[in-house]
Amino acid sequence: MDALVNKRIKEVLKGDQNAFTEIVELYQDKLYRVCYRMLGNKHEAEDIAQEAFVRAFINIHTFDTNRKFSTWLYRIGTNLCIDRIRKKKPDYFLDAEVAGTESLNMYSQVASKEELPEDVVLKMEMQERVQYEITRLPDKYRAVIVLKYMEDLPLQEISEILEMPLGTVKTRIHRGREALRKQLSKM
Amino acid sequence: MDKCPNIVRYIHEYLDGDISREHELELKAHLANCEKCQQHMHELNKVTAFIQSASHITAPSGFVKGVNARMPKETSRAGMKR
Repeated sequence: MDALVNKRIKEVLKGDQNAFTEIVELYQDKLYRVCYRMLGNKHEAEDIAQEAFVRAFINIHTFDTNRKFSTWLYRIGTNLCIDRIRKKKPDYFLDAEVAGTESLNMYSQVASKEELPEDVVLKMEMQERVQYEITRLPDKYRAVIVLKYMEDLPLQEISEILEMPLGTVKTRIHRGREALRKQLSKM
Repeated sequence: MDKCPNIVRYIHEYLDGDISREHELELKAHLANCEKCQQHMHELNKVTAFIQSASHITAPSGFVKGVNARMPKETSRAGMKR
């Protein structure tokens, strides 16, 4: 896949914007999934993942084709997600997904730090519950847990994506797992 | 378990597939005798299984179109250097 992507990147650099569309098609699911897992909201995930692709396009000349494209793309996406999480206003969701009927709305409308009553949590479907618990994690643990357990990425690649030393990635995964263990102890 | 802080570290190394032979032997010997650490490891295994049970989702239809709509216009390639 990397050889194909590098070929398309060269075409983009020569001015062929359609070649970039092909790159978007190849990576849309991966990037959307990471954004969704980090943000816990479909509307926001789509917005941020699309923004990440636009930024990748604008900055494509800075990509080093000797590296893995997905690592670079994930870095742009996770940085945008982390920014969004930090800047998030508590009322953002209230008007963001009013029309939606997704089962996730109920809890994506509350700030992630806020805990739901235990009986509400226990009644959640498994899939909802997984996302709810991830969204409750502090953002510095959330990124590593999503990349390791949902994208199944090697620790070394996570360290490159998040631009942090391997040791820090390991510590955060350990702490993230312990945090989840405490969160799930009521199960 | 408070008396076994190294063991908890080894459990995490083990879960990361990143444990040395020495630590692994120490961990196994310890687990055989410490119920609290066994329980701790069991709970962490449950966490992993729980997170990995999340279903694989895909980008919504129209995602690519959306990206194209947000792309800088061909005529004004201000941001794009070649």
